[in-house]
Amino acid sequence: MVEAEVEDKRITLKEAVKLVHDGAHLFWGGFGFQRPPMAFAHELVRQKKRNLTIYTCGSEIDIDILSGARVVSRFEMAFYAIEGIGLAPNIQRRIREGSIEIEDYTNLAMALRFLGGALGVPFMPLKSMLGTDMLTKYRFRKDKAKVIDCPFTNEKVVLVPSVNPDFSIVHACRVDKEGNAQIDGTRGEDIEGARAGKKTIVLAEEIVDSSVIRMQPDQTVIPNIYVSHVVECPWGAYPMMVYNYYDYDMEHIRMYYERCQTEEGWQKYCEDYITSVDSHMEFLQKIGVERLMKLRAKKPFGY
Amino acid sequence: MVEAKKHAKIGEYSTLELMAACGARAIRDREVVFVGTGLPMVAAALAKRMHAKNAKIVYEAGFIDSNAVDIALSIADSRLAYRASAAVGLIETLGLMLQGGHVDVGFVGAAQIDEYGNLNTTYIGDFEHPKVRLPGSGGGNDIVSSAKRIVVIMKHEKRKFVKKLDYVTSPGYIDGPGVRERVGLKGGGPVLVVTDLCQMGFDEKSKRLKLLTVHPSITAEQVLENVSCDLIVEGRVPETEPPTFEELSLLRAIDPHGIYIPKPNKKQP
Repeated sequence: MVEAEVEDKRITLKEAVKLVHDGAHLFWGGFGFQRPPMAFAHELVRQKKRNLTIYTCGSEIDIDILSGARVVSRFEMAFYAIEGIGLAPNIQRRIREGSIEIEDYTNLAMALRFLGGALGVPFMPLKSMLGTDMLTKYRFRKDKAKVIDCPFTNEKVVLVPSVNPDFSIVHACRVDKEGNAQIDGTRGEDIEGARAGKKTIVLAEEIVDSSVIRMQPDQTVIPNIYVSHVVECPWGAYPMMVYNYYDYDMEHIRMYYERCQTEEGWQKYCEDYITSVDSHMEFLQKIGVERLMKLRAKKPFGY
Repeated sequence: MVEAKKHAKIGEYSTLELMAACGARAIRDREVVFVGTGLPMVAAALAKRMHAKNAKIVYEAGFIDSNAVDIALSIADSRLAYRASAAVGLIETLGLMLQGGHVDVGFVGAAQIDEYGNLNTTYIGDFEHPKVRLPGSGGGNDIVSSAKRIVVIMKHEKRKFVKKLDYVTSPGYIDGPGVRERVGLKGGGPVLVVTDLCQMGFDEKSKRLKLLTVHPSITAEQVLENVSCDLIVEGRVPETEPPTFEELSLLRAIDPHGIYIPKPNKKQP
């Protein structure tokens, strides 16, 4: 009997980020405070990537960092803010400077654009955006959305273009080295997003043996067929949260928000927490074990 | 004999508590309720503890029939997963549930509203040269497009009640009766606007903003002074029912640290 070869897709965070070329288009995973690829964002800043386009539903401190560090120049998305605190300060500033443009859609429209890309069809229909400026006003995408009369029923339907970005970046809970990924709690738009990219990089809190995945295959939301690379990245969403793993660090998030009220404050934050450290591990050391341990999820709450 | 409801007097409750109570009363038992973070979350939690014990609260990030015991800061906050019946994703909540026609009432906020209940959460100022870029639609446009009815909760300022929005993010009645249907929208549109001064609804015939009740100590004239758009006022406007002591004690238990309803100053050390 010949043993099946187990493919090992593991690479380091640094190697994964190196794959992303300047000007690349990315699907950006996580939703709100849940599982944003923070560590990936930090490494994009350290490697001085430029001119990226990001597709996402709603993101917060993660995309604010990418905007502050001038990594991203364009967004197609539905929502940005730092929930419970205020508007994302760096994005605000970069929009005022004219160095960032946002093409705005609704959350459902973006999720469907990823689903369309994943399904291999050029557009998706929906019943949002009708009767509003979201249909008529655009920044850089002339073909932002179209209204048609349904060819079967004649009812009005909005069509939005599907997306197939160069890379999909998703932070999961568990993954095996072959790339089978499991996500606890809400999945946001990650299931569709992970399947829309030409290449998909899955970061995860832990890399587990394939037997763990295969004992609960119903929990696998991203089968390895879609996954190009796997990165082990514990605390990879800090200071935001991962269900069943850790809570958010509101003190850090508030400190970020306060500092970023000025360009100088942001530059200082970026130096202190991102560019003066060499790696994600060094960043975690800077935050400190004691602080991280306090955030660990408690049963039965998952936060 | 049913005991008469005991209402609190002015000074015994805050305006935000009154607004949360108004929001809660707009939810009926067994309804599917789509809410965001902030005051609507507190209102929905109150409704579930009062008259709408079987209401199902859905959060767009993917938490279905949530029974959270701690106040969440984010729409995707793990706190909302506690004792939920399902944790799914956006295609399910916004697509299958909402657009599929299963959501009875949705709660949204707005930076600007016009007399037809159209909402702006995207830009302040001219689109080409905006003064401020706000958070955007998020799921707001989806909710307002497809829920059977919509409750808007917002701060009452003259500059927020405008004749013409800077940007139309979410559709109210657009510019008159029948227009929602004509453009192809499935949801019923806004039915209630709760502010810190009053409650407003929409005139059945014209679909234009109409004053329903004024909060205790507020007059219809004061409300009219605080809008830049037209507002229908018919006859003597009744007073908003103040919160009951039961509602207040529940509200204070729901948000014990005053995250969305800050505690009165006197209680602070």
